[in-house]
Amino acid sequence: MPFESMDEFEFERELRQSLERQPAPLSLKRKVMDRRQQRRGQLQFRRSATQHRTRMIWLERIAASLVVAGVAGSAVVGHYAVEHRKGEEAKQQVFTALRITNHAFRVMNAQLQRQNKDSQ
Amino acid sequence: MANDWQPGFEPLPDFERLFNEHQSMVFSLALRMTGDRGLAEEIAQDVFLALDENLSKIESPEHARFWLRRVVISRSTDALRRRRARGFGQCVEIDENHGAQAEERSSPLGSRVVALLATLPEAHRAAIILRYQEDLTPEEIAATLGAPLATVKSHLQRGLKMLRTKAESQLKEYIRAV
Repeated sequence: MPFESMDEFEFERELRQSLERQPAPLSLKRKVMDRRQQRRGQLQFRRSATQHRTRMIWLERIAASLVVAGVAGSAVVGHYAVEHRKGEEAKQQVFTALRITNHAFRVMNAQLQRQNKDSQ
Repeated sequence: MANDWQPGFEPLPDFERLFNEHQSMVFSLALRMTGDRGLAEEIAQDVFLALDENLSKIESPEHARFWLRRVVISRSTDALRRRRARGFGQCVEIDENHGAQAEERSSPLGSRVVALLATLPEAHRAAIILRYQEDLTPEEIAATLGAPLATVKSHLQRGLKMLRTKAESQLKEYIRAV
């Protein structure tokens, strides 16, 4: 039927009939499934690579933390040893000073006793 | 399908089942939009792979259908833009390929109408295809295309008018040639 003589309804009916769904090519399913499988393989590979990378990053972080802790621990222990040694030295100096003072008192005491004897 | 696709029973919809159910719709929409079987097949492949990626977001069979229509129209429009940017002559391509390959089942008039449809602006074409191939209401078309209802109605009216005008003038030449 020529289009000029068609009314709106007939034209739309013709259009609807012309626009019926077309069957998809038979190869479409195979291509989609192949690409899906391929993409899944790539995703799996990427995921395991990411997991490996994440694991390595964590191992590196743990190693770095251990190194930092070791260095910090050594520094603390070193600092404590230095302080301890300084304390020991100070103690020895105090003892030496006390010994010298004691000796001086003894000398002074002996002199005083000698003077007392002489005056009697 | 709706019965055995309930949250809690089947966490993910079955991809192959969705593919079997919607392959014709997706391919036909891409074909009508682009007018090129090869390009339509590529778009259909990409759309189904995108569906596979987004399968966890699909909530129901209706949602899957809506999502597929929306994505295939959008991808077809993108593909046409890319092809235009590369300098392909869209109308020539459509007349040579699509007109010749338009469905063998329909009448010669129908084939010419389909070929002419491919010469409409994309927005008009999308609205007409969704209306007459998918039998959607203007409200559903507006939701699918993400366009205001008034715009969709206007595209439908203008598209039909343009199509009819083109069909009348083309048919005269066709009859003269026959």
